[in-house]
Amino acid sequence: MKRRTRVTRLFQWLSLFAFVAPGVAAQARAPQAGGEEARVFKVFTARVQQYVKLQSGMEATLPALKPTSDVARIAEHQHALARKIAQARRGARRGHILTHEVTRQFRRIIRDEFLGPDARLARRTIRRDDPSKVAVRLHVNEVYPNDLPLTTTPPALLSRLPQLPQVLAYRIVGRDLALKDTKAGLIVDPIPNVVP
Amino acid sequence: MPAICCAVLLASVALAAPGPPLHAQEPALPLKPDSVRFAAIGDMGTGKKAQYELAGTMAEYRRRFPFEFVITLGDNLYGGDTPGDYESKFELPYKPLIDAGIKFYATLGNHDRPNQRFYKLFNMNAEQYYTHKKGNVRFFALDTNDMNPRQLAWLEKELQSSGSDWIICYFHHPLYSSAAFHGSSTALRLVLEPLFVKYGVQVAFAGHDHVYERVKPQKGIHYFTEGASGSLRAGNLRKTDLTAASYDQDRSRPCDGRRVPGVGRS
Repeated sequence: MKRRTRVTRLFQWLSLFAFVAPGVAAQARAPQAGGEEARVFKVFTARVQQYVKLQSGMEATLPALKPTSDVARIAEHQHALARKIAQARRGARRGHILTHEVTRQFRRIIRDEFLGPDARLARRTIRRDDPSKVAVRLHVNEVYPNDLPLTTTPPALLSRLPQLPQVLAYRIVGRDLALKDTKAGLIVDPIPNVVP
Repeated sequence: MPAICCAVLLASVALAAPGPPLHAQEPALPLKPDSVRFAAIGDMGTGKKAQYELAGTMAEYRRRFPFEFVITLGDNLYGGDTPGDYESKFELPYKPLIDAGIKFYATLGNHDRPNQRFYKLFNMNAEQYYTHKKGNVRFFALDTNDMNPRQLAWLEKELQSSGSDWIICYFHHPLYSSAAFHGSSTALRLVLEPLFVKYGVQVAFAGHDHVYERVKPQKGIHYFTEGASGSLRAGNLRKTDLTAASYDQDRSRPCDGRRVPGVGRS
């Protein structure tokens, strides 16, 4: 009799566990997913900071650029800075900052924005000035084409991607997303075909 | 509501089109001695004949409407920013105004490169977005190419402490537009308009669409599009419920029946 009762209780506990466990597991997964994103973004931010350090180091070797009416100086400063950075990063390849892991997280977020409930809005925003009408593929260390208009990066997307220091910006060109140095005008790292 | 404090010339190439010379007309503005007077131009940097003609008309019109400064609504330099571009698309056309000491306060459009912020005559003080004050009017020049959380936080902080009777924001992409080519920038409107409403922005100027439009007040805010200071996109305006006044033709064919619709006041 006692044994029967024990077995019944065991079954009761097992049923309760079977009912509760998936919820517990899901709860555990949720922070893990958030934690994974946070971990990957931390790596990304550290790499971005390394880039900014390199950029400001290179810029420190040039005469300081202050507001000027000598426009040749502005252009010279940009070109000299771009040359120095490209030289210092000559070994840099795609994925150096936007690593495989970062790219995976970015793809997920961008997919949400462009296939989610606000997809129409996001698509309309980038289509308005879509520079992809001009066939362009972005490469690390190349200068962003001077005659290529900028596409507004949807603000809702910007609010979900890691915040960048002022010298960098996210730029969408066609289906690609690039990290762009706004002072040197350089493509720092692109992700091709990220916009679904 | 503070008293009328500012008057603006929205300068479009349509104003330079054939018809009675603009500078000969009496502007229908209060022109009070303490008014803040300025001109707004957008999408002007083509370097083409129409830009030069309008720039000449602005200089002439200034005799009747002595505006003290100009705000630019972006696309200051199309096609590049070499020294030659700055010269032919800005310094030469606006030379009479620059020589007269008129300051230009620029904002960046989608055809502009960020380093224009270092150009002294654009008075951006090396910033992509910034604020300046004239009399009792606080102006905010925003960069709508990259409306990131940092810029939004900055805007909110500055709006909170603006301490001005009048707040005017200007930027490139229109939050409301009846033009077919680009139209309203709804994604930007979702993040900007709540701040405008919360902190009492009265007027917003934008460019991007190469037409003129005064939008019926939206949530109490007066929106203007003036993207026709370099070229006019003829026939581009659609009939919508938004429009209070508009034109996409020369001034002999204004949509709202007014003779000189480009001159407004707030």
